[in-house]
Amino acid sequence: MDDKKNIILAVLLTALILFGWPYISNRFFPAANPPATKIEGGKTTPVAQPGADPAADSPAAIRDRALVLRESPRVPIRTPKLTGSINLKGARIDDIVLPTYRETIAKDSPAVRLFSPRGTVDAYFAGFGWQGEGIKAPDGNTVWTAEGTELTPTSPVTLRWNNGAGQTFEIRYSVDQNYMITAQQKVSNSGAGTVGIKSYGYVSRMGIPKDPDTWTIHVGPMGVFNGAANYDVNYKDLDKGPATQSFQSTGGWLGFTDKYWLSALVPDQKASVAGQFRKGAGTQYQADYSLAPVMLAPGKAITQTSRLFVGAKEVKTLEAYQDAGVPLFDRAIDWGWFYWFEKPIFALLHWLFEHIGNFGVAIICLTFIVRALMFPVAQRQFASMAAMRAVQPKMKALQERYKDDKPKLQQEMMELYKREKVNPLAGCLPIFIQIPIFFALYKVLMLTIEMRHQPFVLWIKDLSAPDPLHILNLFGLLDFTPPAFLGIGVLALLLGISMYFQFKLNPAQMDPMQQQVFAIMPWMMMFIMAPFAAGLLVYWITNNCLSMAQQWFLYKRHPQLSAVEAK
Amino acid sequence: MIARLLILLARIWQIGPSRILPPTCRYAPSCSEYAIQAVRKYGAIKGSWLAGKRLMRCHPWGGSGYDPVP
Repeated sequence: MDDKKNIILAVLLTALILFGWPYISNRFFPAANPPATKIEGGKTTPVAQPGADPAADSPAAIRDRALVLRESPRVPIRTPKLTGSINLKGARIDDIVLPTYRETIAKDSPAVRLFSPRGTVDAYFAGFGWQGEGIKAPDGNTVWTAEGTELTPTSPVTLRWNNGAGQTFEIRYSVDQNYMITAQQKVSNSGAGTVGIKSYGYVSRMGIPKDPDTWTIHVGPMGVFNGAANYDVNYKDLDKGPATQSFQSTGGWLGFTDKYWLSALVPDQKASVAGQFRKGAGTQYQADYSLAPVMLAPGKAITQTSRLFVGAKEVKTLEAYQDAGVPLFDRAIDWGWFYWFEKPIFALLHWLFEHIGNFGVAIICLTFIVRALMFPVAQRQFASMAAMRAVQPKMKALQERYKDDKPKLQQEMMELYKREKVNPLAGCLPIFIQIPIFFALYKVLMLTIEMRHQPFVLWIKDLSAPDPLHILNLFGLLDFTPPAFLGIGVLALLLGISMYFQFKLNPAQMDPMQQQVFAIMPWMMMFIMAPFAAGLLVYWITNNCLSMAQQWFLYKRHPQLSAVEAK
Repeated sequence: MIARLLILLARIWQIGPSRILPPTCRYAPSCSEYAIQAVRKYGAIKGSWLAGKRLMRCHPWGGSGYDPVP
C-alpha cells in the first residue's frame, strides 16, 4: 500500500517538475543565451524627449541607419575594439560597433552594434554637455567643428563651439585601446559678465534590450553610488513608478548594463554627482549625471574630465579599469551573492582556457580539478565504510534487539558509530560545498562574455547556448523545433545516462522510497537540464563520469566492499 | 520573522533536495533538523551560529552520532 502511494507521489512529482519546470526556470534561471540577434527588430517607436532632458531635441521618425549616419557631419572612431563615429551635430557618440564580437556564430554575421543614432531602430547614444544660467548652452542641434580627423588611441579629437555671446565650449575626446572614451569638457568665458554653468553626461536608449532581466542576472539601469553597487532599478520600475530615480554620490558611475554589454558614465571621482535614471516618452530610458554648478568669472575657464565606457564586459578589462580607479567596476557583471567564490572559479577557468584554447576542454579540466579536491572526502568515506565491516556483528545485534523500535534503533546505531569512531556517511558539508561550486559555475557560464560563442567539439559551436541538436526531430532531419520541455539534446541524453549509471554505483543504502526516486531522477534531470547552456551539461556529464571512475577505483582498493554491495 | 524564514528554508531543504539526495548526515538529529531546533530554541542569530557550527562538523573527519541541540 505504502509502495503504491509512493509511486503515485513520484509520478505526480515528475509530472509537476516536467511541466512546471520550464515556467520556473524561465523565470528564475535563464537557461542559456538565445542566439544573439538584436539587429533590425523594428518595434521601437519614435518619441519626443522631455523638455527638461539635457539631451532634448526634436522627435524623429525611425529611418534606415545608413541614411541617418550620412545626413550629419561625423568624425570617425577607429580603435582595435571600437569602430564608429562621433556626430558633430549634438557632439554625440551615437555610432559604435564592436568589431571583435559578432551578433551570431554564423561566419558572415555582422559585428555587434551597441550605439545607434537617434531616429534609428534601437537608438542608443551618449554624450556630454552643459546647462547654463542665463547663457546660451549647446544643445542637441548644435553643430560643432572638429579639430582632428579621426579618433584613435593616438589621435584625440577636439570639438569646439562658440555661442556667439562670449563663451567657447570645447569637448576633447580621447580613447584608449579598449572601451573607455575620455571627455574633457572646457568652457572659457570671454564675455563681460559672470556665467553659471553645470556640466552633465548622459546615456540614452530607445526600447528595452532583448536580454531578459532575471532573478540571477540583472539587466537594465545600474550604477555605483558612494561605493555600493545598485542593481535595484529596472526598466519596469521606471515604467510603473516615479519616472525619475535620483542618487547623490561622490564619484561612482552609472549607465545601462545588458547581459554582455555596458555603457557607463564615469564622472570625476572626487566630484559630488547627482545621478539619475529616468524614463522619457514612449520607450526612452536615460541615465545621466550632473556636477555641481560653477560660477565662471570673465576671462576664466574651467575644465572637467569625465569618461564613457562603451563596450563588452570582459572581466579583465573591467578589472583593469577598476584598478585604475573606477570604483567597483567589475560589479558591472552581476556576480551576485557568491562573488567571492565565482571570481576565483572564473579566473581558474579562464586561465585554463588561455592555455588550452578550447573552452569546453577547459570546463572538463576544471571538473577534474574540483573532483580531485573532493577526492579525499570520497576516499575517507570508503575507508570508513571498510571499517564498518568490523562492527557489522554489533550492528546486527542491535538490529535484532530493537527491530520493533525504529527511533531507538537509530539512536543506538548512532551511539555505536560514535563509540567505534566509524561512520559510513560523508556528512552534509561536502554537499554544501558543492552547491555554491555548481551555482558559481552556472553563473560564470551564463554571465561572462568570455564564453559567448565559444565552440567545443563536433556540433557544439556555442557553449553558452543550449545543445542545438534535438533528438525529437531526428537531429534536425525533420523540419520542426520541438517544444521547449521536450527539446532534449544529445548532451542531455548523455547526462541522463551517465547519471543513471552513477546512481547504480552509489554506495549509500537507501529505503524503497528513495530507490524509486533514484530510478526516475536521471530521466527527470534530463528534461530539467536540457535547455541549459551546453557548457553546464558538459560540466555535469564529466562530473558524473568522474564519480563513476572514482567509485570504481575505490571499490578496487577496498575489495571487501564490493562483496557487500553485491549481496 | 527571520527565524521563521530560516526554519522554512530548512524545511524546504528537507522536503526537496534532501529527500532526493543519498542520505549523508553523520549525526542524529540531522543537520537540518538540528538547525530547526536550534533556531526555535535560541532565535535566528545564535541558532544559525549553532547550525553553522554543526554543519562544519559534519564531514568525513568530523564527529558523528547522537548530537542534540545544547
